Amino acid sequence: MNHRRQAVRGLAAALATLVALTAAGCSSKAKSGDAKETGAGGVKMGEGVTDTTITLGALTDMTGVYATLGKSVTQAQQLWVKQTNAAGGICDRKLELTVRDHGYDPQKALAAYTELEPKVVGYAQFIGSPFVAAVKQRVDGQDKGLVMPQAWSASLLGSPYIRVLGATYDVETINAVDFLVTEKGLRKGDKLGHVYFEGDYGENALKGSKYAAGQAGLTVVEQKIKPTDNDMSAQVAALKQAGVKAVLVSAGPRQAASLVGVAAATGLRVPVVGNNSAFAPQLLGTQAGPALEKMYWFASPSLPIGADTPVAKKLAADYAAAYPEDGLDNGVVAGWTAATAFGEILKKACEKGDLTREGVSKALLILNAHDPGFGMTHDFTDPKSPSSRQSVIIQPDKKAAGGMRTVREPFVSEAAKSYTF
Amino acid sequence: MSTFAEFLINGLSLGSIYALIALGFVVIFRATEVVNFAHASLLLAGGYFVAVLHEPLGFWPALAAGTAGAAVVGAAVEFLVMRRHRGADHSVLAIVTIGVDILLATELTRRIGTDILALGDPWGDAVVTVGPVTIAETRIAALLAAALLITAFLLAFRHTSWGVAMRAAAESQETAALMGVRLGRVSLGAWAVAGALAAVAALFLTVFPTPGLERGTSLAALKAFPAAILGGLDSTTGALAGGLIVGVVESLATGYQSDLAFLGRGIGDLAPYLVMVAVLLIRPAGLFGTKELARV
Amino acid sequence: MSERPRIPPKAYARAAAAGLGGVVLLVLPFYLERFWLQAGLFAMAAAIGAIGINLLTGATGQLSMGHAFFLAVGAYGYCALAGDGTDGLAGLGLPGWLAAVLAVGLAGLAGGVFSPIAGRLHGAYLGIATLALIFIGQHVLFNAHDLTGGYNGRAVPPLNLLGLTFDDSELLVAQVPFGAVEKLWYLGLALLLAGVLFARGVLRGRPGRAMNAIRDHRIAAGVMGIPVARHRAAVFVLSSMYAGLAGVLLALVFQRTVPEYFGMALSLEYLAMIVIGGLGSVAGAVAGGIFVALLPQVLNRYAEALPLVSAPGTGGIAPGEAARYLYGAAVVGTVLFLPGGLARLVARTPIHRPSGETR
Repeated sequence: MNHRRQAVRGLAAALATLVALTAAGCSSKAKSGDAKETGAGGVKMGEGVTDTTITLGALTDMTGVYATLGKSVTQAQQLWVKQTNAAGGICDRKLELTVRDHGYDPQKALAAYTELEPKVVGYAQFIGSPFVAAVKQRVDGQDKGLVMPQAWSASLLGSPYIRVLGATYDVETINAVDFLVTEKGLRKGDKLGHVYFEGDYGENALKGSKYAAGQAGLTVVEQKIKPTDNDMSAQVAALKQAGVKAVLVSAGPRQAASLVGVAAATGLRVPVVGNNSAFAPQLLGTQAGPALEKMYWFASPSLPIGADTPVAKKLAADYAAAYPEDGLDNGVVAGWTAATAFGEILKKACEKGDLTREGVSKALLILNAHDPGFGMTHDFTDPKSPSSRQSVIIQPDKKAAGGMRTVREPFVSEAAKSYTF
Repeated sequence: MSTFAEFLINGLSLGSIYALIALGFVVIFRATEVVNFAHASLLLAGGYFVAVLHEPLGFWPALAAGTAGAAVVGAAVEFLVMRRHRGADHSVLAIVTIGVDILLATELTRRIGTDILALGDPWGDAVVTVGPVTIAETRIAALLAAALLITAFLLAFRHTSWGVAMRAAAESQETAALMGVRLGRVSLGAWAVAGALAAVAALFLTVFPTPGLERGTSLAALKAFPAAILGGLDSTTGALAGGLIVGVVESLATGYQSDLAFLGRGIGDLAPYLVMVAVLLIRPAGLFGTKELARV
Repeated sequence: MSERPRIPPKAYARAAAAGLGGVVLLVLPFYLERFWLQAGLFAMAAAIGAIGINLLTGATGQLSMGHAFFLAVGAYGYCALAGDGTDGLAGLGLPGWLAAVLAVGLAGLAGGVFSPIAGRLHGAYLGIATLALIFIGQHVLFNAHDLTGGYNGRAVPPLNLLGLTFDDSELLVAQVPFGAVEKLWYLGLALLLAGVLFARGVLRGRPGRAMNAIRDHRIAAGVMGIPVARHRAAVFVLSSMYAGLAGVLLALVFQRTVPEYFGMALSLEYLAMIVIGGLGSVAGAVAGGIFVALLPQVLNRYAEALPLVSAPGTGGIAPGEAARYLYGAAVVGTVLFLPGGLARLVARTPIHRPSGETR
């Protein structure tokens, strides 16, 4: 009997305490008023900003499908944070980059976003466009933190808070087709093969290639593949049978290497152009290396890491010094440009005295000529457009720095200028 | 027509690699009645050993070492994990192999990192042209290797004492044990053999026309599941037939995807599973599998 | 004088603990930050799905690797039934609660359609045949643009129940702002409780015994008069309905469907959950589900504090990798060292009987 009474008493006491505490609003979550604090330097502060630090979030993939990209982008951004802090920080505050690895798992990506959301001003890195699409509603609806994804899909356009840095895949593909037509002898009436990934990357690029083909009088021969496909023999055989005069590849580096290698070996010696995610310097060491140097080009939203600009040279040197075992690739450029753009926006917001999320997005909307030193100027004033429509055409070259050299400087083709999303 | 022939030949050669992987499955299933979901990582392990060793040792010694290494890994899995619960429910054992697969795969992908490793094979990207059809030398080698190994196993199962012991253990473990068959040896041998076969399959999966060994290579092993099931999980002939069928179906479906676009694009990956389900509806134990008979 | 049978003190302690636990669960949304509430919701959905696969694989012995397919049917079914067509995709515009119920039914129907095929197959053959469902599902999800939104997925219409909308519009309760996760928390708890009670009822009654008989001695069960095929089909349907319910809850938490999510890895996760938790036990399924769902979240969150695990970008073992090691080790270790799973671990505490004997 005693046990029973004790148990009931204890339970009742606990219950009462908890209810009382809750009703009294004794919870750290309870709203205590909407005071937006003004902090050091007379600057209004919001999430992720204190008197001494500004925190940025990075949602990356270091262990999943995009591990190569994730590693380069993260390390480049960590390097930028270190250098900026050494130079005094931004707005008299030190920068901090909180990195979370979601391993390309939707649940982990959402959890990481939710975890960091109250603690950061915005996200300088967000890999995985399906996940960005998944949180778009939250970002536009109530969170309003600036997100700079490393995914160039046009489906991400249209939000003032999610800003893609550089030409989207469809625009990039249109520019690539222009390169093929003007420099690689593709003529009206020819067939153009397009091997593309299932998903927004490939299908967005396909939209671009179909538009460009329509403008130039070409026919597109499609071959959809999955990211797990590594052997392109069947695709090459089908394209050969269709009699294509050039091939576009909107897939990953491995698929591009397999495609080019098989094409070269089986006699389909036509120019192959890939999108920016379809090359990695490691490929030059594989069997497809020689073929890649002869018949492969790829488009990119910025100059490569081995470019001849002072910023590129300094970045290459600093990155190699900080991470001597990791190769230089365009992921480093992508991470760096996103970080510097974010830094630029924060500086402008600081000048205006408002480091809240609204202040940051206001500063973003007036930034119309940001040049991170990689050949492009970015214009963020229109959320419905990407920040630039320019592309660079790059050719793999074992002897060049970063394994690649620029073949055509930043340009926008006529078709890309007239393209609407 | 020549394209059809090219798709067909490509499919057969790809199918022979799947047959090798499926054979490893079948060997384990016949000896221990366990479905081995860790086969993909055994494959990756074998390929990794060859990739790492081919520079110091040269290709053929590295291949031998890699095969042996994968066999050791397979045997280790059997000795440390599978043997401890021989009597357990088969679903549980299958799920344990999933756990083993995760452990092995995580370790290997961590070591491979973001590299694409070459295996240093002697065939390179050479191709052979017979009339209008071109086929890579590596694929011819794969066909020959698969044919050789599968024939060897068919003969071994029938004529060697190890093969007989394995068939006896597959029929009834208790009776076999009573008859003097060392069950531990049989299953250890089966796992080691499966590891070795997976290493050979890894070789052919990472040479031309694929760029090299990297973390996603093991996913190709997944395609051998429908091959093994389709042929019958306890039949070596079934592994061969299933592998070839899956390879041909995949190659044809991928090649003709423009014509099949009404079914949705990218049907190449799905087609083998549809064929498998169709076969299972007619023959629930696979084409060559033994039908389960129960006397009440 | 006949002594009234004394209810053992341990039972009171258990009841008190359960009651306290229940109260704590009810007030957690007032204290925990959103990250943990969301993780908890993922865990609840995982637990519901785990109960389903447990009925199928643990209790009836039908190895199924197609569980993720039925989750997708539930999630996308809810979107299609409740969607109002403003995003250009097919939608019937039904009220949220009705769409949820029908989506669960739809998942059950899908299970029913597949069950004759499942009925003819056994063991590994069934396991890999169900794998075909995953591939078919992925193909449809990526290609049937008008219904599923293709690679983009669909926006999930928020649930509207009794005038309360479970979306991010703020609701002040005791001065704490309630967003979608806080509101969904209570819904999740209610669904989980209902799911647990129902499954318990099934397993403890005659159907449960029939299912276990089918798992252990299929032929003998048939000889004894148990309609084997009918039970197997019925369990398939029931397990699919649980998966559909988990899918609906997940869709509500995500607020947008991601087609890549419903792949083979998810199915394997559910199998791991029931092995870690203990095959054949509802409590085990819930424990396994919570463990597998929360482990990577905890590791990712506290990466800096753990030895050996390094923060991303600094080399060493990444938290994602550490989570996978632990996960794989848990599956293997449970079978080797803890054959009954987590459920058996808890049940090992002896219960004192009134007559003094201990069990």
